[in-house]
Amino acid sequence: MINKNILFLALLIFSANTIFAQSIVIKNATIYNGIDNSPFSGNILIEDGLIKKVSKSLIQGDQVIDADGKIVTPGFIASATEIGIVEIGALSVTRDDESNVYSIGFSIHDAFNPNSTLIPWNRSNGITSAITLPRHTSSPIGGLGSFFVLDSNLNIDSKQDMVMIGRIGGSSSSSRSEMLSLTDDILSFASSISAKDVRTNSDIDSLIDSSSIADYLELKPRDVKALFKLVNENMPLMISSNRASDILKLIELKKKYNLNLIIMGAQEATLVSRQIADSKIPLVVNPINNIPNSFDELAANKNLSSRLEDAGVLMMFNYGSHNSHLMRQGAGIAVANGMSYGGAIKALTSNVASSFNIEDRGSISPGKVADLVIWEADPLEPSSMPEKVFINGIDMDLTTRSTRLRDRYTKNFDKPNTYRN
Amino acid sequence: MMHKNNTKLILLTALIFISNISLAEKAPFESSYEPLPSTNTIFRNANIYDGEGNEFSETDLLIKDGKIIAMGTDLPGSPEFIEVDASGKWITPGIIDIHSHMGVYSAPSVSSSSDGNESTSPITADVWAEHSIWTQDPQFALALKGGVTTFHVLPGSANLIGGRGVTAKNLQRNTINSMKFPNAPHTLKMACGENPKRVYGNRKQAPSTRMGNIAGYRKAWIEAESYLSRLDEYESKSDEAKEIGYKPKRDLELETLAGVLRGEILVHNHCYRAGEMAMMIDVAKEFNYKITAFHHAVEAYKIADLLAENNICAALWADWWGFKHEAYDMVQANVAIVDQARNGTGCAIVHSDSEIGIQHLNQEASKALSAGLKAGYKISKARAMKWITSNPAKAAGIYEETGSLQVGKNADVVLWSQNPFSVYALAEKVYIDGALAFDKEKGLVPNSDFDLGILNPTKNRIQE
Repeated sequence: MINKNILFLALLIFSANTIFAQSIVIKNATIYNGIDNSPFSGNILIEDGLIKKVSKSLIQGDQVIDADGKIVTPGFIASATEIGIVEIGALSVTRDDESNVYSIGFSIHDAFNPNSTLIPWNRSNGITSAITLPRHTSSPIGGLGSFFVLDSNLNIDSKQDMVMIGRIGGSSSSSRSEMLSLTDDILSFASSISAKDVRTNSDIDSLIDSSSIADYLELKPRDVKALFKLVNENMPLMISSNRASDILKLIELKKKYNLNLIIMGAQEATLVSRQIADSKIPLVVNPINNIPNSFDELAANKNLSSRLEDAGVLMMFNYGSHNSHLMRQGAGIAVANGMSYGGAIKALTSNVASSFNIEDRGSISPGKVADLVIWEADPLEPSSMPEKVFINGIDMDLTTRSTRLRDRYTKNFDKPNTYRN
Repeated sequence: MMHKNNTKLILLTALIFISNISLAEKAPFESSYEPLPSTNTIFRNANIYDGEGNEFSETDLLIKDGKIIAMGTDLPGSPEFIEVDASGKWITPGIIDIHSHMGVYSAPSVSSSSDGNESTSPITADVWAEHSIWTQDPQFALALKGGVTTFHVLPGSANLIGGRGVTAKNLQRNTINSMKFPNAPHTLKMACGENPKRVYGNRKQAPSTRMGNIAGYRKAWIEAESYLSRLDEYESKSDEAKEIGYKPKRDLELETLAGVLRGEILVHNHCYRAGEMAMMIDVAKEFNYKITAFHHAVEAYKIADLLAENNICAALWADWWGFKHEAYDMVQANVAIVDQARNGTGCAIVHSDSEIGIQHLNQEASKALSAGLKAGYKISKARAMKWITSNPAKAAGIYEETGSLQVGKNADVVLWSQNPFSVYALAEKVYIDGALAFDKEKGLVPNSDFDLGILNPTKNRIQE
């Protein structure tokens, strides 16, 4: 919230964009609000960056945009990406997803680059915000992800360190049993930390000295603070795991430590869907991936999403980083294979917001931040694109480096290419 | 008796000699593919993309004895034909993926199945992808459910010259020979750019630069030219001279390269950057061989005219980018720009290079088409269908047999639940040589040995 205030201020000072000060009405929209399964025809009032009113009757506003019956959805939220901390995958100098010093408390927040080309590209495809994660560390749990608004503003609008990640599964270096034991030991240590243990770094140093597990893991004060936050602020702990038996072990850990657990990958979730639903564990899945990539993922199946929906499991979708937006193609494939349409929209919007405590976004309802997309056609058809994208109530320019390159090589052939646009 | 015996011996020797000759002339690892028993079928009232750029509505399609027999309205029926009501549905040729690593990078992707890159030397023209293929890869059946009837498997891109590729029918069998597309030419995988120079540069050996890459190809082709001239010289001799003369010793590596120079093996060249593709065209001209297709070619749109002028296809993704520096300049209209070059004479292909992408090449084509329309081109869906059917068939050298619904061609046919350019379209029936290989409704789904009893001994891996 602090960051957003800064943003407002910055916009008032720096932006010549007068639209922001005006109210905008999107009329004649077919609204999937991210909450209800079915759409309704209505109008949306945007004011001061927020959704002020959603109504079936006409609303007055300074600027009126006729959606002409087109679908309007909340901006899609990419639930597990590296957007902003990687530019070119194979070039480590453009990757900021790893630390050689910190493990559990490694935060990628300050590495975020609002000028990354991944941001306009994904935004032009309907992604308005993202949860950006570090790579997995050597510790089975560790590494902090942050939530970012993809408006390319150097005054970064974010929620810092709002999820801790982890990984349990097959590995070439150690048994999953060791990973689970280590996770148990770390969580046990985390639960034992009291507020007075973390008042100063020297307090933390003495705590580390007194703990064999903290000493063994060579934890730093930042790592200990992150563990304290995990337990005391009920921070989401998102574990990548696929095998059915591992998922059941994670459910035991959730109960033992009262974790705010999210499971990512979850390729064998259909085998234990009842237990996942009973434990109210949200899943991050990629519905496009039905490959048994490892011996942990043998149950991988294109019907994953529809079966989990039938079992009452809450889902979010993800897909890589450069093309995070392809999660909507994944959502389309999920629907083609039996998932409900409204459920798929929720998996791209409000389910992410609710699972990750992003209270102010993810649905089209009064009071929420105006992150909205007007789609030229069905948003789950990968061939259809956004017509307009609003972030924080601002009508975003949808130009990308990719469209610039396209125009350079398809127009104005009178000049050599380097002198075109 | 003696005389007779001697005659027998001579006959026997002659037979051995003859059979030796025929063995030498017969290509090793020949296809032993046999189609499944075909079902003579008439599809009624279908919407059809024929793979040649045409669209038909409410049209019948007749397949008999594994071939396309007729297409038209109100075709006469006969008791020998199974009638399939295709009203409201769509028919296309079987989808062809020109860039697959199924079988050489099987699932699960574990080190024991990593068989796609012989990255022990930058020139490995002697290796053949088919000798790596694990025929029980569970990915074949997944691709079949996406309408893929034929696929081309290449070695990876670690090497400048990575080895021979193979084209196969998507009918899973226990041996690769029984899957190989009969009489399909071999291909040669070459690779530009970052991958070879990274793999070998990290080992402090050539190539470590792009100029090292180019030197590497040229040296290999010089060897190949020399080998070919020795071979030509020997083969131009009379039979008598051949018997007493010196026969060049076989060399697996140079046999492959000579096959390219003779036009028998088709070059498929992994290459991203426009400038590098142009240089590879120069290398091909220097040594008088033809490049059939550039693969991945993220910057093909920058030289689309050059590709069209040289009759070179570009096999492309709809939208992959950013994983490498050379893949940074992605333009979603890439496929369309290549297609439309030189008054629409370009050859564009949508490929997968992915065990996931191969399952929905129709959707990838749909994205590429949509981007092309937004770039201002007028391209029909019927034309875009060529990107995943007849164009890859041409690039694989099997266009006479498959890739479109022309009368006389193999009945490789997909029946879709709705327009295949929609994400909601599912392949309902897939025919290979007129035989039903997948039928969603009837639950006719192949399962590899890997899929059997692996999670639950009484079940298959995937429960539909």
